[in-house]
Amino acid sequence: MKRKWERDLGLQGRMIFTMFLLAAVYLFFLAFLSYNGTPPVVMMLFVGSFMAIQYFYSDKLVLWSTGAHIVSESEAPQLHGIITRLCAIADLPKPQVAIVRTQVPNAFATGRNQNNAVVAVTTGIMDKLSPAELEAVLAHELTHVKNRDMAIMTIASFISTLAFYFVRYSLYFGDMGGGRKKEGGGILLVWLVSLAVWAVSFLLIRALSRYREYAADRGAAIITGQPSNLASALMKISGVMSRVPSEDLRSVEGMNAFFIIPAISGSSIMDLFSTHPSVEKRIAKLEKIQQDLG
Amino acid sequence: MGFRDLVNAVLGKSTLPKAKSDKLFAMSTASITLESNLGLKPSGSAGICFKPIGASAYDSARKEIQELLEYSSKETETEFRLEKDEFNFLWAIFKDPDFEDLVANINLVSETLEEHGLGGQLLCAIYRFDSEPEAGKSGRGKTVYWIYNFKQGTYYPFIPLSGKQRDNPFEFKLRAEMEREMPIEENVEKWYPLWGIPF
Repeated sequence: MKRKWERDLGLQGRMIFTMFLLAAVYLFFLAFLSYNGTPPVVMMLFVGSFMAIQYFYSDKLVLWSTGAHIVSESEAPQLHGIITRLCAIADLPKPQVAIVRTQVPNAFATGRNQNNAVVAVTTGIMDKLSPAELEAVLAHELTHVKNRDMAIMTIASFISTLAFYFVRYSLYFGDMGGGRKKEGGGILLVWLVSLAVWAVSFLLIRALSRYREYAADRGAAIITGQPSNLASALMKISGVMSRVPSEDLRSVEGMNAFFIIPAISGSSIMDLFSTHPSVEKRIAKLEKIQQDLG
Repeated sequence: MGFRDLVNAVLGKSTLPKAKSDKLFAMSTASITLESNLGLKPSGSAGICFKPIGASAYDSARKEIQELLEYSSKETETEFRLEKDEFNFLWAIFKDPDFEDLVANINLVSETLEEHGLGGQLLCAIYRFDSEPEAGKSGRGKTVYWIYNFKQGTYYPFIPLSGKQRDNPFEFKLRAEMEREMPIEENVEKWYPLWGIPF
């Protein structure tokens, strides 16, 4: 029996389109480099080793930089219990479990594949959320692991990083190669193009990241069967719940008149630069899944 | 992980794996060997655990399960109860000295959920066995749970000890003894522990 709520062609279509655009930009960039006779070996080596470190040590880097520590089953039985069941029902290998001691409510997943994954939560999120909401958040992070988002974002970032280093390389060392056949104008063109490439890929990567957040939300809804739990968890984490009653709508409306760009369209421009979709949009999508559940 | 799974992962498409209940019946013959060769007696209790979802399909399935169980329990004189655990998973728990009736009831629940398109929500079915008490000691021996993982279509043994420890040596012994009799999960990483089984 095929269920309606398990399909989302629109989201997959957008994801394919974004990845296609990324690939197109990447290929164009490579073509441009070879056309200009730039020896890419040195740069590729540098960027390549940087990416390899990021890829193979991502889990350790993230754990180290966030101060997360791995916890055993006896240290965090409740957390392990939830994750064990979610993994059994979604047929995933069980990841390592880590806790970050901070009151900031947050959670993340890291690791280059399903067998090297770590799912971490902060003590703040455990205090703030109910068990059902925590389960939804963990299902969201497990979907990131399942969807190999770490690997996909690393590959997608490759082009961005490559372009970024090239921008710096041209900026600082470009003029020193005066003995070469290329004139200053050519260097400037290369620099402008890689700058444009970097800017475009930066925005595309952020778009891809936002779509993968939606996909992880959808996965969490399907694994837990309760989209509303994730919605309320998102509201609690983002502080929407506590913000709603304290804000005076009239004063906000009045202030809007003094802005050149009203607060509302201002936030939609910011949407382009953010790695996560807005909580309102995520909740709207979860509500749609809830309706499809029937 | 197949190619299709990889494509789904890259596209961020999530589906729950389907339930594989075809090997569930292997326990009915295996229980005889467990008792005669290993001294593991069926304890007369079994259960099936699934994830409730927030949808009307689930509500109607739950109602149907309740009605079917009430009807079948009159026939087989099986005691049953439905209860939620601390993780909000729902259990149907059965008590019956006749092992075949336990198997039949477990099957009834899994079939009903699958008919409603909710097979993906099935977590596991569990049969409880008790070992003979050690020589010179009274009471029951160890509790041995055989867990059927619906996602894999395989069984694995789970013997909880106090302090969230499990009796791995005994579990591995059971695997070695029973490998030819029933489909046992080969990957021990999928021998998920389930603490606090409510029967």
